[in-house]
Amino acid sequence: MSSSPIPYAEQPEWADVVPLPQYESIDPLAPILYTNEYKDATDYLRGIVKVGEKSQRVLKLTEHVIRLNPAHYSAWQYRCETLLAIKAPLDVELKLMDEIAIKHMKTYQVWHHRRLLMTHLLRSTETDKGLQTSSRSPAQIATSELTLIARTLAEDSKNYHTWSYRQWLLAFFSDDSLWERELDFVDSMLNLDVRNNSAWHHRFFVVFQNGVREGEEDRDRILRRELIYVKQNISLAPNNASAWNYVRGILDFNKLPYSTLAPFVQPYTVSHPDTLDDLVDLENPPPSRGAQLPCPAAIEFLADVYEREGGDSVLKATELWKTLGNEHDTIRKRYWEFRVKEGLRTIQAQS
Amino acid sequence: MAIPTPVDSYPSPTSKSQSETEEILLTHLPTDSGPSTSQLQKNSHLQFVARNLIQGFPVRYISQDASQPWLLFWTLQSLSMLQVVLDPNNRQRAIDTLLAFQHPEGGFGGGPGQMPHLLPTYAAVCALAIVGKPGEKGGWDAIDRQKMYDFFKSLKQPDGSFTVSRNGEVDVRGIYCLLSVATLLNIITPELVEGTPEFLASCQTYEGGFASASFPYFVPEPSHSAPTLLSSPRPPLGEAHGGYTFCAVASWVLLKPFIEHSPSKPLINTRLLTRWLVQMQGVPIELGGFKGRTNKLVDGCYAWWVGGCFALLRGLDEEAAYHKDDHEVSTNANEKDEDWVDDEEIEIDDVWNPTALQEYLLYAGQHPAGGLRDKPPKPADAYHTVYCLAGLSTAQHRMNPDRTRRKVLEALWDEKSENQTWWMKEVYTRSMSWSEAIGKKRTVLGGEGNRVNATHPIFNLTTTHTEGIMTHFYQQPTPPKRQ
Ligand SMILES: [Zn+2]
Repeated sequence: MSSSPIPYAEQPEWADVVPLPQYESIDPLAPILYTNEYKDATDYLRGIVKVGEKSQRVLKLTEHVIRLNPAHYSAWQYRCETLLAIKAPLDVELKLMDEIAIKHMKTYQVWHHRRLLMTHLLRSTETDKGLQTSSRSPAQIATSELTLIARTLAEDSKNYHTWSYRQWLLAFFSDDSLWERELDFVDSMLNLDVRNNSAWHHRFFVVFQNGVREGEEDRDRILRRELIYVKQNISLAPNNASAWNYVRGILDFNKLPYSTLAPFVQPYTVSHPDTLDDLVDLENPPPSRGAQLPCPAAIEFLADVYEREGGDSVLKATELWKTLGNEHDTIRKRYWEFRVKEGLRTIQAQS
Repeated sequence: MAIPTPVDSYPSPTSKSQSETEEILLTHLPTDSGPSTSQLQKNSHLQFVARNLIQGFPVRYISQDASQPWLLFWTLQSLSMLQVVLDPNNRQRAIDTLLAFQHPEGGFGGGPGQMPHLLPTYAAVCALAIVGKPGEKGGWDAIDRQKMYDFFKSLKQPDGSFTVSRNGEVDVRGIYCLLSVATLLNIITPELVEGTPEFLASCQTYEGGFASASFPYFVPEPSHSAPTLLSSPRPPLGEAHGGYTFCAVASWVLLKPFIEHSPSKPLINTRLLTRWLVQMQGVPIELGGFKGRTNKLVDGCYAWWVGGCFALLRGLDEEAAYHKDDHEVSTNANEKDEDWVDDEEIEIDDVWNPTALQEYLLYAGQHPAGGLRDKPPKPADAYHTVYCLAGLSTAQHRMNPDRTRRKVLEALWDEKSENQTWWMKEVYTRSMSWSEAIGKKRTVLGGEGNRVNATHPIFNLTTTHTEGIMTHFYQQPTPPKRQ
């Protein structure tokens, strides 16, 4: 373990700064019992912020505070303003932050700081040829960010901030060469864990939510590709809510009727499907041998198909909802009851 | 009875941690022979909370140094739900401490000398709603509302969102905090929230829940005027998440008066949202706790973030509920199995399993040494204590926007108070009308001794504290007590 550092008061280069204690005139309720080191560093930070100093040593001080408490958003904010005020090289800052990002990946500020750096780096490569310009092109900068993100996701594959930073980065740089490899990346993440909902969401983000990129103009082909992809993943592990939500998502987004998938879904709704395993049907891959059937998500899907058919089919939907509520998904009994009532009302309204 | 979540003979990291969690939770299921664990250990939770308050927070809470108003809010709101009032001396200390977080330029920071930020601003104002009062040293009148408003305005982005602080991140937590405070303090305006509903709507994902934020695409204008925001695409950043969903839905309810008056009438998909919410409830082997995202583990705090959303669903469809109440015959939730009576109405806030949630919180959420937690074997902390208790509260009390109550408030409305606008009365009467539904009592698992106080579905304050601060800032008479 590191020994405690020399207090700021004993360092000659800080002699001119007046430290500012947190509470001067009151006896606070429920205070945090700080370490001496933390109290010392934040007293000096308050002192610096009060006089508005922006200098090289502020970078040292804010780094110290951030390492002790990476959620100290004021230290981050002041650090960023200092970097810009003294025109510090942002590439150097980015490199320093790599290590902190991996170490404190669960902290908002770590990722937000990188967004600010990206924004300023891109702005400076676009506008001036001055000192702070990075030697790298925007695409190079973004590519190395994607690599760093992949490294953090390898350690924490569902980290919310990291995934949303990746999505922000792709949208912000909006460079086709960056988007190109995203599907392979999603695929590698789903190969590691087919139930990783963050990766499924990322796939949706990449394929459907950011406009149409070169090579993806044939939307019918893309849709077919996605349907085959998700069906195959459902067949591997049918009780995977992420995959079912994905397939519902792409049908909704593309305004396709759920009934187009009825032949695929049907075998998943029964205990012993009579499908022929050796018959390879890419469009309708059957449940794997290890599948635990029936799958409630499939029953729900089929009920939705019937409900949308209208007429007498609604009654078939209510029967399926009842089996969910009574047997396959009892925790949500009230919800399935609610759906039954809704269905019965529809029937009444039709007759 | 408790069947493990199916793995389909295809294990992955998700299914492995799921199975490990289920094994631990199984040991917390009550057995016929074991001691009854269905009591809420109010005393040991009180001691846990009071210890932090009086002795201070232990050194590991340094990570919360930028969340000091939160530590106070979590503690004080836990006490409120446990029906405990602070003594006058500590009350004054709380007020003085909270005011030390106010920034000279408006808003509150995470601690003295920290920058103003939307999240601590919500926590500080709500904590002041609990301990403060009008007048000198009471705290309420020391809140600089004009500067607060200016601070809020300074954070507004072209896509209708707000950054949480100067150059900070954009996300729906900040929006929820801003709207809650602006509503409680009577500083909300149509100008402040213009475009905010559209931003929130763009955060709803294909799963039905809400993400942290969305990405705004702009097209540059040929002239020098500001670039134009594209209405599509505005992709959500991140997947549907319980915390963000609560913030987005509560924000939507707060914005309803403005949405109804706006020409564009943005929409969210309530059906999809409802489906996602119910899917977040864990199965019996997970003791009916809530998870925050698809294929993640149950966690006590989502009892509030997700469980708390069901009451809000009633707020989304308030006007419809309003008119229905006229001829509605209240019915008790039907607990009998195999019962599919056709004439029983099921309302939108009654589509989940509050009894099962209470089981999770009582069996798994309570730490034996006091305080509540994410899940066993984790330690208790201040954050999980308040949100587990709030979740328990929402499972015990059915809160609805109450039509009768709103009429009472409308009749009492004092037109003579200063600076009346078209929205003031509506904002006030809507937020103040949330009440426990009469004749729709929920089961209190473990008996009446387990009951905690009801909490406001939007603000997470008791109705007493909500009414106290709102009548003050809207300059309205104290409404009569509820039955
Ligand atoms: Zn939690």
